[in-house]
Amino acid sequence: MTKDQETELLDRFSLAVFLEAVRCLDENVSTAREIDIAMRAGAGLPVGPLERADRIGLDKVLARLEQLEAERGERFHPPDRLRALVAAGRTGVEAGRGFLDY
Amino acid sequence: MYVFKAAVLGAGTMGAEIAQVISLSGLPVVLKDVDQAQLDRGMAHIRDIYARRVQRGRISEREAEDRIALVTPQTDYRGFADVDLVLEAVPEKLALKQAVLAEVEGQVAKTALLATNTSALPVTEVGAKLQKPQRLVGMHFFFPASVMKLVEVIAGEQTDEESVDSAVEFVEGIRRIAVRVRECPGFLVNRVLMAGLAEVFRAERDLGLGPKEIDALIAASGLAPMGPYALADALGLDIAQEVSETLKEAYGERFDLGGRISGLIADGKRGAKSGEGFYTYTG
Repeated sequence: MTKDQETELLDRFSLAVFLEAVRCLDENVSTAREIDIAMRAGAGLPVGPLERADRIGLDKVLARLEQLEAERGERFHPPDRLRALVAAGRTGVEAGRGFLDY
Repeated sequence: MYVFKAAVLGAGTMGAEIAQVISLSGLPVVLKDVDQAQLDRGMAHIRDIYARRVQRGRISEREAEDRIALVTPQTDYRGFADVDLVLEAVPEKLALKQAVLAEVEGQVAKTALLATNTSALPVTEVGAKLQKPQRLVGMHFFFPASVMKLVEVIAGEQTDEESVDSAVEFVEGIRRIAVRVRECPGFLVNRVLMAGLAEVFRAERDLGLGPKEIDALIAASGLAPMGPYALADALGLDIAQEVSETLKEAYGERFDLGGRISGLIADGKRGAKSGEGFYTYTG
């Protein structure tokens, strides 16, 4: 496996999980905090998908999604909520706020 | 509403595991099944879970005996008049769950809370045959319930706020983590997880990689405790297929597994429980 393949695989897995978590948030299935708790306690993820994106930086996540959308299709289309957070400067842990507050 | 006594309907593995969790918290629980042999197997399973806790020094033998004594196995509705919460854990068949709940509704107080343990069926439909569907909540325990801490508490369309609050309080009382989830296909955890699984299957095709190297990479990356192929094997490939079909129908192609596991299932490879899936299991 080449380094590029590794990166693509891990990004596609983690971003597919992240995007579905955001859809759940958009549909009011649960709150951001509870979605992350559920994915940790129910699926054993070490960090919830929303906090993980906040840690990476939402501007970086957005850029990567735009790239994957171009390369792999519409399912990676960045959610409006993500664009709005980035536009508002709520880019995650470093900014003190993202999907969650820090 | 405080639960002083609970009842679990269905003494299969899940029902027994849930009864064990309830008894461990010190609450009396009736374990009911229509089949005495199933009830015996359920009680044996509960004793096994306690025996392992004793072995690991988590609980004394005496305490384990006391907790086991809190579980009352029975095939009838004796003592259901003072049950505050009934949780059904019968097989995942809609008509069966509806019938079981409609029957028990006539045996408990009007104030008793009703719960359905389902990982897939809509709570609204499960409650369709009830006189008071507003008191039915979904409680999705994860397998094995004696180990897994999360319970998704699901409100159906008719479930009232008070019932959801009582359910959350109960789940926390038996030392589990409750997350409130609005009803949707797959609920929360399985939906989000299956989206990741389907994408990995697509990446396997696009990038020409093998399941074992993908699993090793994902496990080593720290993104998830195990790779998606090992996870699918653990879940049962037939179950994974079924869940993904439901999700695909509800949300579209992003949940398509691309026939990745239907071939294995056709060959009788259903994952860890059948001895073979993506991996081979012995013993």
